[in-house]
Amino acid sequence: MIEGWTALALSADLPPGVAVPGRLRGEDLVIWRSASGRLRAWGDRCPHRGMRLSHGFVRGETLACIYHGWTYDGTGACTLIPAHPDLEPPKSIRTQGYDCREAAGVIFAAAEGTGAALPDPGSLAPVRSLQMEGTTDAVARAAGMGTLADGMVRGTVDLDGAVAVALFLQTSGAGMTTVHALADRAPLAVSDWLERIREIVEG
Amino acid sequence: MRPRLHDYALSASCYKVRLLAALLDTRLDVVAVDFHPGREHKTASFLTLNPAGTLPVLEADGTVMTDTADMLRWLARTHDAVWLGDGTRVQPWLDMAIRLNESLGMARLHDMLHADCDIGTARKAGVADLRRIEAHLWARRQDGEIFLAGPRATIADIACFPNVALAPDGGVNLDPYPSIRLWMRAVRSLPRFVEMPGIHRLHELSPVPDYAAASQA
Amino acid sequence: MITEANLSAWYPVGMAAAVGPAPGRATRLLGRAIRLFADAGTVRVTDDAGHELSVCTAYGHVWACPGTPAGPVFALPEADQPGRRLVDCGRVQVRCSALRAVENFLDIAHFPFIHAGILGAEPHTEVNRYEVAIREEVDEVWATKVSFYQPQAARSATGGVDVEYMYRVAAPTSAVLYKTSPPRPGEWDVIAIFVQPLDETTCDCWPWMALYDDDTPLAELIQFQQTIFLQDRSILENQIPALLPLDPGMETPTRADLTSIAYRRWLKRRGLTYGAQAVAA
Repeated sequence: MIEGWTALALSADLPPGVAVPGRLRGEDLVIWRSASGRLRAWGDRCPHRGMRLSHGFVRGETLACIYHGWTYDGTGACTLIPAHPDLEPPKSIRTQGYDCREAAGVIFAAAEGTGAALPDPGSLAPVRSLQMEGTTDAVARAAGMGTLADGMVRGTVDLDGAVAVALFLQTSGAGMTTVHALADRAPLAVSDWLERIREIVEG
Repeated sequence: MRPRLHDYALSASCYKVRLLAALLDTRLDVVAVDFHPGREHKTASFLTLNPAGTLPVLEADGTVMTDTADMLRWLARTHDAVWLGDGTRVQPWLDMAIRLNESLGMARLHDMLHADCDIGTARKAGVADLRRIEAHLWARRQDGEIFLAGPRATIADIACFPNVALAPDGGVNLDPYPSIRLWMRAVRSLPRFVEMPGIHRLHELSPVPDYAAASQA
Repeated sequence: MITEANLSAWYPVGMAAAVGPAPGRATRLLGRAIRLFADAGTVRVTDDAGHELSVCTAYGHVWACPGTPAGPVFALPEADQPGRRLVDCGRVQVRCSALRAVENFLDIAHFPFIHAGILGAEPHTEVNRYEVAIREEVDEVWATKVSFYQPQAARSATGGVDVEYMYRVAAPTSAVLYKTSPPRPGEWDVIAIFVQPLDETTCDCWPWMALYDDDTPLAELIQFQQTIFLQDRSILENQIPALLPLDPGMETPTRADLTSIAYRRWLKRRGLTYGAQAVAA
């Protein structure tokens, strides 16, 4: 049983005012950043009629569901039901919470209340996220970078000189892995290398 | 006389023309053609206008245009040539737009309107197209640019945007493409952007409503 | 899960004007393969085992019943009123339960968000009180005295108005809405959605209308309705769970959702569980 943090996105891919879907151990999540830059991760499901919140819209410090505009604040509580604008929504209407942290340009999520430490990729810069059809083990093998620890593999790749690379490998669907790559230099070369890895993984 | 667009509301290619016209702040005379269920684009009367039996068709300046890229170029040249961009950077994306019609576009018509196609091949080609676009947009972002062919939006973006944005209609998920997501937001945030069914407006761009004022109205 | 109640209901399976001779068109109903074709002036629907389904033609469409019909297809007298235009809008396939498609059709609180600028607009989002009843004598769900402010309520409307509606669930997967007709105050325009459950999480939707509108070209009428319906498609394909929950639990209705609450209660009571989940998710 994998405990602790899973990388879901790169910070650069989630600017303020944006909501994106994510997948954590088989569960669908929405990760969103408010106007002030604050991150939240919730179950990707509006309690009203089950619409994916990742299709919703951020206004200020709230995320609203696109279906009926039900609006949720940073604590996950529903603060507005547009069909009844004068009604104070019952406190029981709230989203399902997950822990969400950002470090080294990577956004991580975990089950609420996790006590684990964030994985440390070293002082590498985020490069790119891309999805591959293959298991995390297949990707790690193709990258030739040893076994996963904390959802991450690290190593050095020869791309016209040595490049230190860390790959966070996230299971993002049945038989699908999303790679969140960091490196100490040469992002364009690293991106090309990732695409070659994908070709190997996908056969 | 206003240009006349023979149009189908659910067509991604027709939307390319409607969208660019809106962004250019110019009006078209839009004539609805009963593509589905009526198959009006295959009737004898329509075929005299366009023997190829396709939509969109744009009548302007005494000519009848039946190629969507020609329509986009004509609109840009006529109203604001900056939308033409740098031709050598733009052309590959006009070519990509044709591939997208055949991959993501056909998958959508198959899944929604029961069009005949090899859905597996169409979706696989669609994923390959999206990966190519994602890689390119990621590289552009490293240079501080968000659009396909330069620092500002051009007809390259308009030609590719609809089929990409509507990919989920054809069973192709857009979640794996973070750079495409940011590019789509940039397109949808352009002044005078108009939506089509399957592409919602960005409600985040409107301010929080003043419900007190609404209840007094 | 299919029940007797599911099998004895009527479902749309095609447009009457588009039925060809054998072998005709293959499709699915309640997860089973069927075929419809014209044979010497009548329409026949058969399944893979060669059984004939009960068939009738009404409101521009072919209707089939896989079991023994509980009664005739529901009544829609507006279809026979002179002066109305009857419009077939063609079919659209959606990856959702037929029950989710019907429930969305009954909902108005989404108008300012999903049909922004057409059927609703912020800040006019409030849903006023309306009345809902299950009419036992016809065994249908009805919502009346529904009203909502709309920027462009019909192709024939010239500006924003307060539109009055009635909603009716006429069959397990067929719903009708009645809205005030701009050219004929006092009369109702009729817009219906006839939904064919292909399997539990896929359906073909057949929108149909009976309108008072002599001026708007047919293609525009069709595309106005198709536009509205297609705006709902990305919602319908992204609701979780896919099967409509018939018990309270994970979903939270409000007073604006009275019609959908009644619809779910009616489905549960009648044992119409195909496309639904009967246990709280």
